[in-house]
Amino acid sequence: MEPTRQAQATLVDLLDRILDKGLVIQADLIITLAGVPLIGVNLRAALAGMETMLKYGMMREWDERTRAKEKSEARNPKLETNSNDPNSKFKTVLPQSLEHWDFGF
Amino acid sequence: MECMDETKAVTHDPVEAVGQAAGRYLYGVTDHGEQTSLGYIGIESRDVYTVPYQDLCAVVQNCPAQPYHSPDPDVMTQWVVTHHDVVEVAWERFGTILPASFDTIIKSEAGGDPQEQVRTWLRQDYESLEKKIERVRGKAEYGVQIFWDPKLIAGRLMAESPEIKTLSQEIKAKPKGAAYLYQQKLERALKQEMEARAAAYFKDFYQRIKQQVAETRVEKTKKVDKEIQMLLHLACLVYQERHTALGDELEKIEQMDGFSVRFTGPWPPYSFVSSG
Repeated sequence: MEPTRQAQATLVDLLDRILDKGLVIQADLIITLAGVPLIGVNLRAALAGMETMLKYGMMREWDERTRAKEKSEARNPKLETNSNDPNSKFKTVLPQSLEHWDFGF
Repeated sequence: MECMDETKAVTHDPVEAVGQAAGRYLYGVTDHGEQTSLGYIGIESRDVYTVPYQDLCAVVQNCPAQPYHSPDPDVMTQWVVTHHDVVEVAWERFGTILPASFDTIIKSEAGGDPQEQVRTWLRQDYESLEKKIERVRGKAEYGVQIFWDPKLIAGRLMAESPEIKTLSQEIKAKPKGAAYLYQQKLERALKQEMEARAAAYFKDFYQRIKQQVAETRVEKTKKVDKEIQMLLHLACLVYQERHTALGDELEKIEQMDGFSVRFTGPWPPYSFVSSG
């Protein structure tokens, strides 16, 4: 399985990293967002869908990595999966008695 | 080595009002001990450049002493993507990067030079930053999410588990009232068994993935869809050349009936630079 190239990864994948992770710097050295509505909350609410970073046209690819991946994918097309949409491979088998059941999530 | 006017010396940004350069927007830290410009690739097309301290440097741009904020989510998203783009450029150029969160702005002490503040920070955190660089050197982050189709799994349990099979058969024979109670009993048993299976799968997948990577970090699972459920969510730190081994293991899981995998990366190591 090849990883989904970043350009096709979703903005949610990026936001999870860029808003919540990253280098920690002591508070007295940086300007914080006190009083400003949380960027994360607003951005994530606005980007509820599976928009990709491609839409914003800016994701760069390492030329070498791209070329290497393309070569390897050409050799092993069966490893390609539509990993953006995990729903794509499921055909649900639904026992009658479970039609109404709320699976609790 | 010290220049008279350090702000002008290191950036290609035109001379500007002091307010516009009162802060330094931080993209990350790397082990490149020289002043270098990466060009006008920053937020609002600012010049991105490095502020060195010994063999480390911070990758920054000049900015006003306040966070970038816009009520327009498209604008904010473009900035976020720009930030990440700059991190990627620095990663490619310098080989290793400790990426910063979006909108980390280093301020100056009142009336002070924000450039100096950056150097002071690098000096004070030098050991911790060096350790982090060694931790991620030669590696990249990959995201792994594994999903299952609970209805499919439950359907299987109906056929496989003797207890559940028995219950579901007994329901057919019962009159309405009693059938309802048996239905409840069935659902409870099913739920319990599903939870046990989810835990067992998590453990198995986690062990298998852990063997293929340098480090893992367990992330929160989230609701994605009504039809499928996220069982496992990991950030993995992987030696660059070994990501295919991880991919091979994930392919096996992808081929399992009722399971699906999302595998993203390589990412700069956002998830592995924030501890202490």
